[in-house]
Amino acid sequence: MEMAKQEIRIGVYVCHCGLNIAGSVDCEEVAKFAASLPNVVLAKDYRYTCSDQGQELIKKDIRENRLNRVVVASCTPRLHEPTFRKVCEEAGLNKYLFEMANIREQCSWVHLHDREAATEKAKDLVKMAVAKAALLAPAEEIEVPIIRKALVIGGGVAGIQVALDLADTGYKVYLVEKQPSIGGMMARIDKTFPTMDCSICILAPKMSDVGHHPNIELLANSEVIDVKGYIGNFHVKVLKKPRYVKEDCTACGDCSKVCPITAPNEFDAGLALRHAIYTPFAQAVPSTYIIDMNLCLNKDEIMVCDKCIKACERQAIDFTMKPETVELEVGTIIVATGTDVFDPSTLPNYGYGKYLNVITSLEFERLINAGGPSGGRLIRPSDMKIPKRVAFIQCVGSRSNKSGRTYCSNVCCMNTIKDSLLIKEHWPETEIYVFYVDIRAYGKGFEDLYKRAKNERAIFIRGLPAEIIEDPKTRNLWLIGENTLLKEPYKLNFDLVILSVGLEPRKDSEIIQRLLTLSRTQDGFFMEAHPKLRPVDAATGGIFFAGCAEAPKDIKDSVTQASAAAARAGILMAKGKVTVEAITPVLDVEKCKACGLCTKVCPYNAITLNKELKRVEIVEAACGGCGTCAAECPSDALTQSHFTDEQIMAQIDAVTEHDAEKKIVAFCCNWCAYAGADFAGVSRMQYPPNVRIIRTMCSGRVAPKFVERAFARGAAAVLVAGCHPGDCHYINANYQTQKRVERLWRKMEQNGLDKERLQLLWVTAAEGERFASKIREMQKLIEKVTMEEIELAKRVFAKAGGA
Amino acid sequence: MPERHWRTPLDAEKAVRPKAEIHIIKDQCKGCGFCIQYCPKKVLEESDEINARGVHPPRVVDEKECIICSFCTAVCPDFAIFVKEKQCKDGC
Amino acid sequence: MNTVKAITYKEALAECVDAEKLKFCFECGICTASCPMAELLEREYNPRNLLEKLFIDTERALTSDELWLCAWCYRCYRRCPQALKLPEIFLHARRFAVKHGYTQPFKNAVKKFVKASPLPLVAILTCFHPERAGLDLNTVLNETEQLRMEFLSEKKEKMEFIKGKVAVIGSGPAGLTVAHELALKGCEVTVFEALPEPGGMLRKCLPSYRLPREFLDKDIKALETLGVKIKTGIAVGRDFDFNSLWDEGYKAIFIGVGAHKGRELKIQGTKLDGVFHALDFLRMVNSGEKPNVEGKKVVVIGGGNVAVDSARIALRLGANEVSILYRRSIDEMPANPWEVKEAEDEGVKVEFLVSPKRISGKDGKVAAVEFVRIQLGEFDATGRRKPIPIEGSEFVKEADMVIFAIGEAPDLQFLPKEIELTEDGTIWVNPLTMETTLKGVFAGGDAVTGPATIIEAIRAGKIAAASIEYYLRLLG
Ligand SMILES: Cc1cc2nc3c(=O)[nH]c(=O)nc-3n(C[C@H](O)[C@H](O)[C@H](O)COP(=O)(O)OP(=O)(O)OC[C@H]3O[C@@H](n4cnc5c(N)ncnc54)[C@H](O)[C@@H]3O)c2cc1C
Ligand SMILES: Cc1cc2nc3c(=O)[nH]c(=O)nc-3n(C[C@H](O)[C@H](O)[C@H](O)COP(=O)(O)OP(=O)(O)OC[C@H]3O[C@@H](n4cnc5c(N)ncnc54)[C@H](O)[C@@H]3O)c2cc1C
Ligand code: SF4
Ligand code: SF4
Ligand code: SF4
Ligand code: SF4
Ligand code: SF4
Ligand code: SF4
Repeated sequence: MEMAKQEIRIGVYVCHCGLNIAGSVDCEEVAKFAASLPNVVLAKDYRYTCSDQGQELIKKDIRENRLNRVVVASCTPRLHEPTFRKVCEEAGLNKYLFEMANIREQCSWVHLHDREAATEKAKDLVKMAVAKAALLAPAEEIEVPIIRKALVIGGGVAGIQVALDLADTGYKVYLVEKQPSIGGMMARIDKTFPTMDCSICILAPKMSDVGHHPNIELLANSEVIDVKGYIGNFHVKVLKKPRYVKEDCTACGDCSKVCPITAPNEFDAGLALRHAIYTPFAQAVPSTYIIDMNLCLNKDEIMVCDKCIKACERQAIDFTMKPETVELEVGTIIVATGTDVFDPSTLPNYGYGKYLNVITSLEFERLINAGGPSGGRLIRPSDMKIPKRVAFIQCVGSRSNKSGRTYCSNVCCMNTIKDSLLIKEHWPETEIYVFYVDIRAYGKGFEDLYKRAKNERAIFIRGLPAEIIEDPKTRNLWLIGENTLLKEPYKLNFDLVILSVGLEPRKDSEIIQRLLTLSRTQDGFFMEAHPKLRPVDAATGGIFFAGCAEAPKDIKDSVTQASAAAARAGILMAKGKVTVEAITPVLDVEKCKACGLCTKVCPYNAITLNKELKRVEIVEAACGGCGTCAAECPSDALTQSHFTDEQIMAQIDAVTEHDAEKKIVAFCCNWCAYAGADFAGVSRMQYPPNVRIIRTMCSGRVAPKFVERAFARGAAAVLVAGCHPGDCHYINANYQTQKRVERLWRKMEQNGLDKERLQLLWVTAAEGERFASKIREMQKLIEKVTMEEIELAKRVFAKAGGA
Repeated sequence: MPERHWRTPLDAEKAVRPKAEIHIIKDQCKGCGFCIQYCPKKVLEESDEINARGVHPPRVVDEKECIICSFCTAVCPDFAIFVKEKQCKDGC
Repeated sequence: MNTVKAITYKEALAECVDAEKLKFCFECGICTASCPMAELLEREYNPRNLLEKLFIDTERALTSDELWLCAWCYRCYRRCPQALKLPEIFLHARRFAVKHGYTQPFKNAVKKFVKASPLPLVAILTCFHPERAGLDLNTVLNETEQLRMEFLSEKKEKMEFIKGKVAVIGSGPAGLTVAHELALKGCEVTVFEALPEPGGMLRKCLPSYRLPREFLDKDIKALETLGVKIKTGIAVGRDFDFNSLWDEGYKAIFIGVGAHKGRELKIQGTKLDGVFHALDFLRMVNSGEKPNVEGKKVVVIGGGNVAVDSARIALRLGANEVSILYRRSIDEMPANPWEVKEAEDEGVKVEFLVSPKRISGKDGKVAAVEFVRIQLGEFDATGRRKPIPIEGSEFVKEADMVIFAIGEAPDLQFLPKEIELTEDGTIWVNPLTMETTLKGVFAGGDAVTGPATIIEAIRAGKIAAASIEYYLRLLG
């Protein structure tokens, strides 16, 4: 509070960002306007404020003009807030005395064609930032130690690489794999493009390294069921399902031979049988056999069959094993859960699931693999004969609006090229046709492989078959389509058709998403913190991605990303400590009435009621920083640092100072809604310029009095936007948002106000269009709001809003 | 794994299944039905016949399904059922 | 032709394609390969290419004959990976073209169609719908009649004579097309029709407001002038054996018997008075025995065109309230989306995601239908999401009349067993030739595809006729 007495000296910097901002905002004018605001001692516009020269300029001004607050109007704080905070620190100013106005993602980029309105909006945004800046207070961050252990979820090639890299660096790694063995997709494919190495030959040594590494603890047949905590300090619960075979198992396979139960082996895409006691494949790690209890005759502890027990000389089989919950403490988590493949039976015109000789590319991999069900002979399932005419169909389930998978799966083109060469290698006489739309051979060595396939006379026809018709006698297949280059129809007959199925997000990604509070893109893959600059970081601190979990990619990219993720996690753990943003609540002991309401809403149980002292206590390290407690406290006893009531009220007041009746005041949570609005900007989605966004960490921070204040000051409409229920970055704090908004709606209705003027929006960081269309919709709404309605709202909320 | 496995595995025919020979000593059965209840492959059912002890002894529904676990033998209190592996003479 | 001011790209696009429908076409060619019109007029029409032209060279697309060749079967839309509604995009473009006075291309298109296909009047009324684009239907029909006459008299002058008698079973559009094409080559064609009058579904079930029968009669009469014999009231299998056709000297046989067997639902109460199969209901209406619908509450169960037509007819016959209840969602509905929209505009209520559980009656008559609400599950093998009943969501809907329109299948019991059927109970044909698994026997239309459209039946007939011609020539 000492600062308050001191004279406030704010410096404002309006960035042109080349033409990114200056193209649609008159930066000079904004700077001139800023200079006229209270407490502002200097305002400048600058071409690239984030450049070295720009940073030097700020530092110089701080020193020479004794600035004690800095406001930069430029891009989103999600990008450069850390940069400018560092600049302030270097010039001796506490970094919490810095504030940003987002005039790029949320202004110039979304109002490309309305320079005047964009400039006006930029002025407002600067005014809001200046108003908040005047009330900023310095703060010290607390440091938390980072546990020097990592958890890797998923044991595909990406997970394996992360685990090995981190373990070799010297960190303890827990590798959790859902399946009985690690290896993932790569263990199932035969050769790998572009070099045509044998997949399992290069993967198996890595797998066994994982098995033997002293720093790696492999938890196969296990799943993560609970994650608590925060960066550096995660408490994880893993459910380790029983194998019913002890580690004494030598993998001799005697048990399998006697087991009377068989079922399709998932590893072989169902093309071969396995027994109830089995190992999915010869090179499996761990090699210990496993009993599939869904199949075994011994259920509900009734021992019907003991054949395997008798057969096992090592006496390794143990039906008394129970599921175990393992508790882990780790500092970083790497998500490497990979992808599923598309199920083409949802495309009836291709007849998959009905026509025996229509197979998927994954089935092909098993068929051509020497260790596979046909011993490496490519046979067609209907008569086990070697096909003479083979067709590949590309983009099955990818790049399609209808299947909901609009992205390119990245690997299927090259995979087909690889497959066609494999066929040619073994059976050079085979006629191969590839039906494609575009061939994507973009990587190192890819084009050469493509040329080789063409040289080997694989025939590429542009145009996908519309339909496959099976000849009931021969089981041959007719492909009917259009050659779109020649503009000619084709009807061709084949012995075997291979559908190049796409990759899709894991069906159960939602579980991991919820446990780790991650975001996913519209495609359903996990979303990185920044697509270019932080491609392996999750938005949640301490969590990283590797491999196909983040987007479809080939092995090389998966491994590259894995090593990158290992490095990122390693950096954190090497430092051994991390600072937590100083945005925890501060209690005013005088005001606290010990009502305990805050303790009920805190998602982290970071506040407890001390009945003896008749007040609550805050555990700062446990606090996530959502601020929902501060919104809940009826006595104003809790203040969230850096997002105080006064600061937010000042922002609201700045917005509503003039033309309030034409404006929408929007409260957006940092992680989803604010990021979604940024995404709309990055994608240049245009929407009406009347909205002013106030950032809070969580929508749960939005106290009803903020909304009331906005209406009391004559705002046309208010938007509260947060993450979808269940996706909340602060576990479930947004449920409080919902409750509070519903209460406000009731109040509005009771007072004869149109409740449509207060909107609640759930939006993910990837749903820019959803945000933009909401604003378009609200624009229509506010055009209809009359002056009487504005006045009525002012009266209704006058008292509560304290305007 | 979420892929759909709809095909008959290619090696389904090669899988050697034990061929069972189920022997029911009808008149020794006291009709407790344990064998029927516990058979994991549901190979047995109650017959309509009435045996010497005035009860319905079990009968075989589908001998091919039996996997010779001999659990029926184990649970039968009166030793009325036993199973042997068929000895293949003519290359069955 | 009147001169028109140049059309700007932006202006045209804004009119032609509303943003909602404008997704991304990646030029896979599936639409063209699925399109019956593209097959009928191979060098003249290519929907994929037309769509692209709309973007690249809007003016040329708007003035091209091609723009008018889409026959609204929606087959492309059902398969397009991007779910693009080509027929609707083209309709917007047609309207725009008409607004700018480009009507000559339509006339050219009709000329092309008349040369390629019989039944032009039927096709214009039921497939091309020039009135939707703002053209006057009557003028179009008169002009078409004129064009046909010119074409036929021209053709008749230089007709070939191919040896060989051909039997056609079924006088629907598929059968009639085969007869027409072969008659033009001078073949001796006899059509056998089980019903008293020729025309197949067109006569039996198509609502007369959509296809006034005089136009059907005109189209059929034109065929007969070519020498096609149509024997009505004769059902193959009932009146004589399929194989006896060979004995009578027929060298080739075409099967175009359509799909006339209404599927049944196994629920309680389907035998009550007031429960109809849609095809029976429509047949009754079209044959003049008007079922009494006035003032009644009619419930139609199903989601295809037949359901929609039945509902619209019931409304026209004076029903008080007509609703269509379908167990999946609008996206899965097999009915032509345009048709559904028109029905809704007329006052038919459409309810989705409901499935009937039982029909209850009073004094032997229908009184109400109990429905259960449905939730869509995973995709099934038909590419649609599987309907799963929601427990406890049952509700009762009062009804005086229930019409089942839950799909039709062909009745093929009369066929010899050498002719193989598919899993769906339709006839399997070689897609190149339309030949069945029995030599000399060809098939097409709904009997092969399951319930489809007129234009698809015509296309099948056309291909089959070419194959039959080839076959007869080989026989010598
Ligand atoms: C048919 C086909 C052919 C291909 N051919 C090639 C090729 O020739 N060359 C090439 O470079 N790339 C190829 N690829 C791509 C290659 O397979 C992938 O790039 C690679 O396997 C990705 O590895 P990953 O570790 O990210 O994922 P995955 O291999 O999918 O591994 C993920 C692992 O995580 C586990 N997991 C999932 N969810 C959980 C959970 N909740 N908890 C614990 N564990 C979990 C899974 O069981 C799995 O073991 C091909 C892909 C396919 C489908
Ligand atoms: C209510 C309704 C509305 C429709 N509306 C449209 C529309 O607006 N636009 C559109 O394009 N399509 C429409 N259709 C579909 C269209 O009518 C059919 O796809 C088309 O008629 C199929 O032609 P077809 O030649 O295969 O068979 P059909 O037209 O069904 O003709 C088959 C003929 O064979 C006869 N037959 C059957 N068995 C024998 C036998 N054993 N011996 C002798 N003869 C036999 C039948 O009596 C029948 O006359 C509609 C269908 C219905 C039911
Ligand atoms: S469990 Fe026993 S019998 Fe089975 S593989 Fe292991 S050691 Fe061999
Ligand atoms: S106990 Fe189970 S796993 Fe072992 S042999 Fe019997 S059925 Fe197979
Ligand atoms: S990689 Fe090729 S086949 Fe796969 S989705 Fe992309 S373009 Fe289609
Ligand atoms: S041996 Fe096992 S499977 Fe066979 S009948 Fe007895 S209980 Fe059933
Ligand atoms: S089917 Fe669809 S995506 Fe493919 S070419 Fe046609 S319109 Fe384009
Ligand atoms: S609606 Fe039918 S006729 Fe029109 S383009 Fe599509 S497939 Fe062709």
